[in-house]
Amino acid sequence: MKENLLHTPDGVRDIYGTECEQKHILENRMHKVLNSYGYRDIETPAFEYFDVFGHEIGTTPSRELYKFFDREGSTLVLRPDFTPSIARASSKYFMEENHPIRLCYLGNTYVNYLDYLGRMKESTQMGAELIGDPGPEADAEVIAMVIEMLLSAGLKEFQISVGQELFFDALAGEAALNPEDTETLRELIRNKNSFGVEKLLKGKNIAPELRQLFVQIPSMFGGEEIIEKAEEMTDCEEARAALERLRDVLRILEVYGLEQYVSIDLGMMSGFMYYTGIIFRGYTYGSGDAIIKGGRYDELLKNFGKPSPAIGFVVVINSLLHAMNRQQVPIVSEADRKLVFYDDQSRDEAIRTAMNLRKQGSDAELRKVEAADFSKTDAQICQEGGYRDVIHTERGQKT
Amino acid sequence: MKYLTIALTKGRLAGKTMKLLAQAGIECKEMQDPETRKLIFTDEKNRLKFFLAKGQDVPTYVEYGAADLGVTGEDTILEENRRVYEVLDLGFGKCRMCVAGPAQAAGLLRHKEQITVATKYPRIARDYFHNRKNQTVEIIKLNGSVELAPIVGLSDVICDIVETGTTLKENGLIVLEEVCPLSARVIVNPVSMRMENERISCLLRSMNDIIEK
Repeated sequence: MKENLLHTPDGVRDIYGTECEQKHILENRMHKVLNSYGYRDIETPAFEYFDVFGHEIGTTPSRELYKFFDREGSTLVLRPDFTPSIARASSKYFMEENHPIRLCYLGNTYVNYLDYLGRMKESTQMGAELIGDPGPEADAEVIAMVIEMLLSAGLKEFQISVGQELFFDALAGEAALNPEDTETLRELIRNKNSFGVEKLLKGKNIAPELRQLFVQIPSMFGGEEIIEKAEEMTDCEEARAALERLRDVLRILEVYGLEQYVSIDLGMMSGFMYYTGIIFRGYTYGSGDAIIKGGRYDELLKNFGKPSPAIGFVVVINSLLHAMNRQQVPIVSEADRKLVFYDDQSRDEAIRTAMNLRKQGSDAELRKVEAADFSKTDAQICQEGGYRDVIHTERGQKT
Repeated sequence: MKYLTIALTKGRLAGKTMKLLAQAGIECKEMQDPETRKLIFTDEKNRLKFFLAKGQDVPTYVEYGAADLGVTGEDTILEENRRVYEVLDLGFGKCRMCVAGPAQAAGLLRHKEQITVATKYPRIARDYFHNRKNQTVEIIKLNGSVELAPIVGLSDVICDIVETGTTLKENGLIVLEEVCPLSARVIVNPVSMRMENERISCLLRSMNDIIEK
């Protein structure tokens, strides 16, 4: 075998065997939940024009995009995430619709990270977008759906942190810092770096209560009491409205009966520029990064000519699977998989047996052998190959 | 109860951190044995694990959640630029990130001419020159004894950590500009911060109380 033909490039890999099976099981389970909420499947191309993922729409830094040219010289990009593609597609195909549109997708995304960071450059994402509904009901529906997806996948210990981009935006507006400082401040709060916040605001002309609040935001996460605490600290009307929205969403989640999975994090802000309201992340043990990322992006669609409110999220399937394996959550296939042995003399019988099994809903794999071989017990074969049952039809005996 | 894992920076910083933790009632007997060849140490009482790593690697361990918390210098945190939360300034390990060089190099920093900078911290150096000074520079990455570079003519200036300034002085170099002050920091994995919030907050609060005393 040629060695250089065997390797995959840095950051991509084969998924096979049990892992691949488990991945598909998770995808199927979660996809059912998406459909059960009325979300319809959509597929978009793996590569699109650069501008769809470009700077104004702001998802992934340009140098982390896989770029190439078509024959005309246009720059093409392998999708780093789905949201801009879905926004583009829905602006095009659902221009006339005046009721909300629910779409869901599954596919691979590509981000050209530097080598040796241990990050995969290709990853599988499943997600959904709810377009055309500006209300807290939409926020809550999407969050509830995420929780149900994780539960259906079999995950038990997880937490959905919910934040509100508008809260920081309102306060930043009141503080009237220059755009550069506002960005630095956002970055510091995002990193939960309250020392940095203090250092940055030192000597700046800001009301002391507001300064105090900024310093506190990084540690403002927990239950509903966080919203009250924040309300007491600010009179800014927009900020209070942002908090009220958060409370509405929580109240609706109580109707779903899923509020116990949700916590509030006022310091959470996305690196994606397009988020404009509620944002959320899903965390669990065994994964160093969030397994779910989502939020409201009411401004994105106007880039494609159809201004419309929207909210969506993505499940990073590889990270979810990795976390579940680390937590030793069993992911067991429901398939009834059987292995049928045959030899020259029993061929016809074996094929008929297999066909019958398949008709009854089992999976039947045929394996031809020279003669019956009893060097391994059936139990061993089942264990090694992941079969539920082994059927022998072979007539010849090993001599 | 799950173990919380803490990554420490080998050397002086680890010693100081353990001293601080001891004041907070966390002691790890295993670690005090100077003869030990162990890589990972356990404190059963508080359900903590500790390990020692090279400074630059601490943010990596924390980013992947291999360690829930880490203690390392701000220089490595800035340079590695990992997705971690930087939550507490420990106040020790204080030093400065500086641009240094021979006295006559000062003029090179006043104009926008292109100069060469030798450093162990290419990201910090680039950010300082490009974004804060708007000066285009060529960066040469070295792995140690950076002071040598301007002396032997490899670079015009260096960008490096300065503690007392003795090494610079003995080699005829001076601090030309200060990039930023540095100290030891506690970093936390974002997921751990959520999932083990109570224990981590409690630990940080007790560390903070001791520092502020």
